Amino acid sequence: MHFDDLAHNWGPLTASGLAQGAIYALFALGYTLVYGVLRLINFAHSEVFMVGSYAALITWGFFGLDENSATPPATEVIGYVVLGVLVAAAISGITALVVELVAYRPLRRHNAPPLAFLITAIGASLVISEAVGVATHRNQRGVPPLIQPADAFTIGNTHVTNLEILIILLTLVMMVGLDRFINRTRLGRGIRAVAQSPDTAALMGVNKDRVISLVFLIGGLMAGIAAVMYLFKIGTTRYDAGFSLGIAAFTAAVLGGIGNLRGAVVGGIIIGLFENYGSALFGSNYRNVVTFVVLIVILMFRPSGILGEALGRARA
Amino acid sequence: MLLEIDNVTLLYGRIQALHGISLTVNEGEIVALIGANGAGKTTTMRAISGLRPIASGRIRFAGEDITKLRADLRTVRGISQAPEGRGIFPGMSVLENLEMGAYTRRDSAGIRADLDRVYGLFPRLKERAKQVGGTLSGGEQQMLTIGRALMSRPKLLLLDEPSMGLAPMLIQQIFSIITEINQQGTTILLVEQNAQQALSRAHRAYVLETGRIVKSGTGTDLLHDPAVKDAYLGVA
Repeated sequence: MHFDDLAHNWGPLTASGLAQGAIYALFALGYTLVYGVLRLINFAHSEVFMVGSYAALITWGFFGLDENSATPPATEVIGYVVLGVLVAAAISGITALVVELVAYRPLRRHNAPPLAFLITAIGASLVISEAVGVATHRNQRGVPPLIQPADAFTIGNTHVTNLEILIILLTLVMMVGLDRFINRTRLGRGIRAVAQSPDTAALMGVNKDRVISLVFLIGGLMAGIAAVMYLFKIGTTRYDAGFSLGIAAFTAAVLGGIGNLRGAVVGGIIIGLFENYGSALFGSNYRNVVTFVVLIVILMFRPSGILGEALGRARA
Repeated sequence: MLLEIDNVTLLYGRIQALHGISLTVNEGEIVALIGANGAGKTTTMRAISGLRPIASGRIRFAGEDITKLRADLRTVRGISQAPEGRGIFPGMSVLENLEMGAYTRRDSAGIRADLDRVYGLFPRLKERAKQVGGTLSGGEQQMLTIGRALMSRPKLLLLDEPSMGLAPMLIQQIFSIITEINQQGTTILLVEQNAQQALSRAHRAYVLETGRIVKSGTGTDLLHDPAVKDAYLGVA
């Protein structure tokens, strides 16, 4: 145990953990939104994320940017980053929508049992990741050096980088925006209505299928944005990049209280922080051990997660 | 004829819940459907609102065949159901529940006017506007489902057991409000176990027994029918 390491590096570990947690939070939203409305764990969501990371890299590739390129001038960088985020969000959103239309909707038409949904979700996940694996020869692909890590500010020995600030700010903006959308708009009310009582929502004139599509689309958009942030933080992607990250994000959703949007954020940040603290304390080989021990302990005391279940009850 | 149900059958798995039901509701009426527990009253409601597909028969509303129409689209056409058992959205405030009732509407001025109308009928809901639905008392939740159903400005209001679980004084009050809603121009189909109240308020009524309609007539006729008295009115 390296308590001195943890104590000494507490600041930087926290900054990095918050950024990592922000990515988990954005990623976890897709799990929690879909679960809230359908009571379904959409395992293919990890592939929605992975596809988004490739979408951004391919977009930058169109402009001749790859991992060996030089960093373009600052004004162009902003353009590329924005474009990458938009394309990744769009492609991830569309992928999520296609999974819902092709894989899940036909099952709902036939009133399939929950197990059929579960195995379909796993199957959809494998189909997408293996297809990308074959197409990319299972190679990893590097990120063009659009953002050169630099300290934005320093407190003591804590160097907070421009990238960490970007990730945390972007997540914050998306979360506040989504929270307002769900809680303050007519469509958001429709989503909560279906989550709370699908039959009663239909009596109000809510088109359930349209709400479900919307929820997949939103989850996909958020995963696409998370994917670009992940690219900048980690530097590469691969056909199986969604898998391990997806487990962490799904864990975050369960930890915060699956079905609860704010819970996904809380869970994501806790997992991000504990991964970093745990690595410092026990060595980085133990990061997943620490994460899941934390999960199990918290669920022992709060079985429905820190903030509890239900999208509909996500109001503060 | 606003609503016409013709020979409708309905199955729950292998169990037949409705054995060829036919009934009509004319514009401006209050029609009551009475019967014991398990007679098929709520099932009939769910067939009309579209929550449950029917096995055979026809449902026509305002001159159109809606047999195959999805539930949410029936609401758009003007059928609004206040579900039984306090079917509110428990995590939404009273105001949000009422706004959900107007989900299909975009005329914000009209919605505001109807909100005032509902608050006029149920002043208690106005006092509790910000309160979360799940924390309301049983009677208040009942008022909320009725008020919410009115928010779509329906042509036909389906009320499923509006008096269920309420204290006698509150039952009186709810039925007065139902009559008032009808006098303001809304046609009502009412499902009730409280046959006394339902028959004395309704223009016409049907008696449902194990998925079949066994009797129909004006509310007053049925109120004085010996068999109905015996079975449903608990007359000594």
